[in-house]
Amino acid sequence: MSRFTMEEVGWVPRVPPVEAETATPAQLAALEACPPAQRRSTYFLTLANDAASLGERGALFNAVMYAPRGLPRADREFSTAVVSMANGCVYCTSVHARRFAELSKQPEAMRRVLEEGPAAETDPRRRAIADLSEKLTLTPGAVTAADLAPLRALGMEDLEVLDLLHSVAMFANANRLMQALGESEMPAG
Amino acid sequence: MSGDDLIEGLLGIAPGSPLAALRLRRPEARTHAQGAYRELLMPADPGALSHADRAALALRTALREGDTALAAHYRGLLAAGGEEAIMLAEDLSGAPMEGRLAALLRYADLVAARPAEVTQGVIDALSALGLTARDIVAVTQLVAFVPYQVRLMAGLRAMQGESAA
Repeated sequence: MSRFTMEEVGWVPRVPPVEAETATPAQLAALEACPPAQRRSTYFLTLANDAASLGERGALFNAVMYAPRGLPRADREFSTAVVSMANGCVYCTSVHARRFAELSKQPEAMRRVLEEGPAAETDPRRRAIADLSEKLTLTPGAVTAADLAPLRALGMEDLEVLDLLHSVAMFANANRLMQALGESEMPAG
Repeated sequence: MSGDDLIEGLLGIAPGSPLAALRLRRPEARTHAQGAYRELLMPADPGALSHADRAALALRTALREGDTALAAHYRGLLAAGGEEAIMLAEDLSGAPMEGRLAALLRYADLVAARPAEVTQGVIDALSALGLTARDIVAVTQLVAFVPYQVRLMAGLRAMQGESAA
């Protein structure tokens, strides 16, 4: 039984989150730069303790995950789920596995990857995305042009490759933040 | 434009080159990565974490993550912080280190390499050093941001390798 799941996982912060009612103007402005659906989450309110870094980092996250065109959003979510598994972040994995399943309408494919690992992926495009995502996550210094060749062979153009690099890099960041600043709580049952 | 962008400077991505043009197709990702770097390393109000503390944490994380070009940049930023801070930040031997900066560097090691091992006790120990909630979030953001830079740079180097082939 894998520890990864698509169920909702909780997250309990280790430093007190900012309270929306008593947040400073700078904290509120920083939260405005973050993805709208998440800016009142416990996680973003925890990051709001340091408004200066949240404003830039939240805007970066928004750009990486939601910028139009380029790599389809489902592929970005798939990549970040694979990265989160490689980094052992159960919370991030659950969130992005769920988003992939919603966007792609392929929850079974995601469930198999969660249970058996990315090597179980049979779709060639997703497999190529998974391979690059894992290698860039675990051994960035070993990545060369040859690692991009499978993506290129599937027709991936420059903007899509750049979007994939951004997604992988973003979750090197997100997984560390999430695991260090709080504890994930597995669903009951 | 590359004069204002750390990553393009370190990778030698020249203004007007194909990779520079590609990065400008994602202007917000480019601008806010640079902005995060600025706010994490050189914030106007650094709280309890001096610019030298921040450069030391970034240097150690870049070294741990194996990017020598990025590490050299942070070593340059730390030069004003003194030789002792550089030696401490670069000592990856696991030898016992004492003092406040050593405690911060040990936290950086955990966040960079084994974030699942951070516990409430680890965070409380930072509070005991005088760090506020804001300082703790800032140091964690900083140490978690360097791995972003390392992976983006590694991926862009691979793209540079493609065009060289």
